[in-house]
Amino acid sequence: MKHLIHLKINGEPYEVSVKSNLTLLDLLRDEIGLTGTKKGCDTGQCGACTVVLNGRTINSCLVLAVDANGKEVSTIEGLAKDGKLHPLQEAFIQEGAVQCGYCTSGMILSAKALLDENLTPKEEEVKKAIAGNLCRCTGYVRIVKAILDVAKRLGG
Amino acid sequence: MAEYSTVGKPIPRLDGLEKVTGQAIYGDDLKFPNMLYGKALRSECAHAKILNIKIDKAGRLPGVRAVVTGKDTPFLGGEALMDYPFLAIDKVRYVGEPIAAVAAIDEEVAEEAIDLIEVEYEPLPALLDPQKAMEPSAPLIHERMNTYKHLPVIKPIENSNICHYIQFIKGDVEKGWDGSDLLFEDTFTTQMVQHGAIEPHMAIAQVDPAGKITVWVTNDSPHRLRMDLSNAMGIPLKRLRVISPPYIGGNFGGKGGLKVETICIPLALRVNHRPVKMVLTREEVFTASLVRHPSIVQLKTGVKKDGRIWAREAKVIYDTGAYAEKGPTVCQQACVAAVGPYKIPNVKVDGYCVYTNKPIAGAYRGYGIPQVAWAHESQMDIIAQKLGMDPVEIRMKNVVGEGDISPTGQQKLHSVGLKECIKKVAESVDWNRPKEKYRGKGMACAFKNTKTPTGSSAIVIVSQDGSVEVLTSTVEIGQGSKTILAQMVAEELGVPVENVIMVTPDTDITPFDASTTSSRSTFHMGNAVRRAAKDAREQLFLIASEILGEDSEDLAIEKGLIFSKKNPGKKLTITQVIKHEYQAGLDIIGKDSFYPIAEGETGGMWSAPSIFWMYGAHYAEVEVDIETGRVKILKISGAHDVGKAINPSTCQGQIEGGMVHGIGPTLFEEMIIGERGEVVNPSFLDYRMPAAPDIPEITSLIVEAPHREGPWGAKGIGEMTVVPMAPAIANAIDDAVGVRIKDLPITPDKILKALKEKLVRK
Repeated sequence: MKHLIHLKINGEPYEVSVKSNLTLLDLLRDEIGLTGTKKGCDTGQCGACTVVLNGRTINSCLVLAVDANGKEVSTIEGLAKDGKLHPLQEAFIQEGAVQCGYCTSGMILSAKALLDENLTPKEEEVKKAIAGNLCRCTGYVRIVKAILDVAKRLGG
Repeated sequence: MAEYSTVGKPIPRLDGLEKVTGQAIYGDDLKFPNMLYGKALRSECAHAKILNIKIDKAGRLPGVRAVVTGKDTPFLGGEALMDYPFLAIDKVRYVGEPIAAVAAIDEEVAEEAIDLIEVEYEPLPALLDPQKAMEPSAPLIHERMNTYKHLPVIKPIENSNICHYIQFIKGDVEKGWDGSDLLFEDTFTTQMVQHGAIEPHMAIAQVDPAGKITVWVTNDSPHRLRMDLSNAMGIPLKRLRVISPPYIGGNFGGKGGLKVETICIPLALRVNHRPVKMVLTREEVFTASLVRHPSIVQLKTGVKKDGRIWAREAKVIYDTGAYAEKGPTVCQQACVAAVGPYKIPNVKVDGYCVYTNKPIAGAYRGYGIPQVAWAHESQMDIIAQKLGMDPVEIRMKNVVGEGDISPTGQQKLHSVGLKECIKKVAESVDWNRPKEKYRGKGMACAFKNTKTPTGSSAIVIVSQDGSVEVLTSTVEIGQGSKTILAQMVAEELGVPVENVIMVTPDTDITPFDASTTSSRSTFHMGNAVRRAAKDAREQLFLIASEILGEDSEDLAIEKGLIFSKKNPGKKLTITQVIKHEYQAGLDIIGKDSFYPIAEGETGGMWSAPSIFWMYGAHYAEVEVDIETGRVKILKISGAHDVGKAINPSTCQGQIEGGMVHGIGPTLFEEMIIGERGEVVNPSFLDYRMPAAPDIPEITSLIVEAPHREGPWGAKGIGEMTVVPMAPAIANAIDDAVGVRIKDLPITPDKILKALKEKLVRK
């Protein structure tokens, strides 16, 4: 059975007809074509599919598309504004916080959600905020540093 | 020291922008018109004969376009030993082995069809213990092993489950024991772990009307995969095209060899030219892609009272699972390094690579060396303790240096920065400060070879406006190859690095490269692109010399401007040079290859001598909770000899990432195999990898002992960074609470048990 849903993705309105069991992740990737959100496990354990739904980070593989009806979704594609990178995106490049890049989208969104609420996080709070985002390449060192640098710059 | 324009500079990664904006394309992002989706039916038995497979019901399901079984794919493949069926033929050898596959209009239909396939098995005894599998009376997992084709260096033992046996002898260990003051005998074991790349494996296969097969695949080595497929299927290379997605989401050795394409291709051959895509689920990645070899390493060492190692014997057993994959060469390479990076007059190594009915083990960051380093570095501290020597001191006394003979005796070592690594690590952590209760410090060092010989080719195309395209088949798996290869081309060619574009590997377009493995890309492909860039530069100079009336040798190029060294006022842009010669338009094309052979005694290709060796040392500081047995890592530090850091930032990224990667298998990662041979914990929830809160304070240090054949002296780094982590932590735990754990992972229960036994002994 299909359902007609309305939602905003990165500020743009969408009307989509979706199957009952379609996940928000598959909606974004397969139906809308926003492949910046990654699928690493499809069971809510790796964090690669992290997006922001109505201001909260969620694993989009664990949310049904129909449950996003009437809500606002932010993905990595919506982060840069008018061709200008978000400070977190800048910092991830400058600090060398990116290696294979598969965790990067989710990692940046988790970091953004943290900084949206707390501009003076301690190192432990940063680590906790990205605890659900697995990265096998970087050892997290430069990711944590990039986030703290942005916090320092924005929060003073 | 010479000042370079970009080599040696920590420039930000060139792929950073694409990756932070979500625009980088990976395999699972690829989608083609008319595409079908594949799924595999996987074995429930660890070892069984297949009596019957019923596929009719699945074939009749609406939306299904093809169903295939092993009967349709009578191929055997594999790099070292050709034992690997695309789909199981007549029997299954591990839980998770693909038996049949379906292509359907979507994944749901494909899954439904898989459930409709019925398999009748006749169970056979499952061999889960490598030592039992080695016994002469053990049932054979591969009855026809004697008929398998294999590399010359591989020595299977007939009528056994041992698919490779290797021995190295230097001096005489028997005499060595007599000449020793003290003997140490210990057995160390490691568990089954997995690479844990966040991107799962995928492939898309499509067959064109002329019968040419194109595969888009998350593989670390497009040309090698094409060769493997060609060898297995008995079709010429021209009928195979392997295309890499622009980016691979992590590798660590897990994405080499035959994997998903061997399921997609048989389906693609039957669906009238439609592409067939298959992406492994995380559970499939755990059970049916690749793991690191569980190992048993018995180490006997004789030492002199002054701490010199006089003789060392290693018996190494690598459990390679159901198929050889790269197991035999993993075992081979590990055995060359099994006694550690030490000057030892008497050495004997026996290595066995053994089949069992478990997931397939193969290449894994370190290629077998983490397992042997776990043994020799743990034992070094046991020895140091007994002799009352400092762990740094005993290592400094024994480690190899420039010009020393390699421990198994085949070659003279060059570019050896190990002492410097140990020194730097010790300095970075204030090694000699007083000990605190329940806290301990530990260190370990190691070295690693690279498969030798292997070859790389590169093409550098200089366009009219000075843009440079570089064609190589090095795959960007996260290691930063795109960035450092571009840096090397820019340096050699004399153009800004921003002008250099790295082309994504495609066997129809980019020239041969052996593999993006073995930490070989900086050295091998680095030399290839440097030579190709030099070729292009010389062609530009030839034209420029005519225009400027100067000798080619007197020309130089910086930032894309060619000028006379004698008359710096005389200069030309690349555009002016190319336009002068080819007004209507043409590119300058530089090309070259690199195929270095290591000098030394060799038993043939990939036997022992290595063109370069990487060296490194790690430090760990821990606190142990004696109530719970929990280990808290407080600090780690690592120093690695990279020859020359082309990009210090990406080098440090490798060191940090490798050290944290190393923490997982040391303290908590373990794939648990159940009684039926099944993986009990095939998920990130039950198989815990290090997450951000697990990381301690980390220091990464670079040592540069230039290699005479390396580009600007550079060697490799990627794999070494994980190697000395486990023994450094184990040594720190022993220093903290006086217990020696010899089997990985070091879980709290093992520490508690050891603490209890220690109390009883007292």
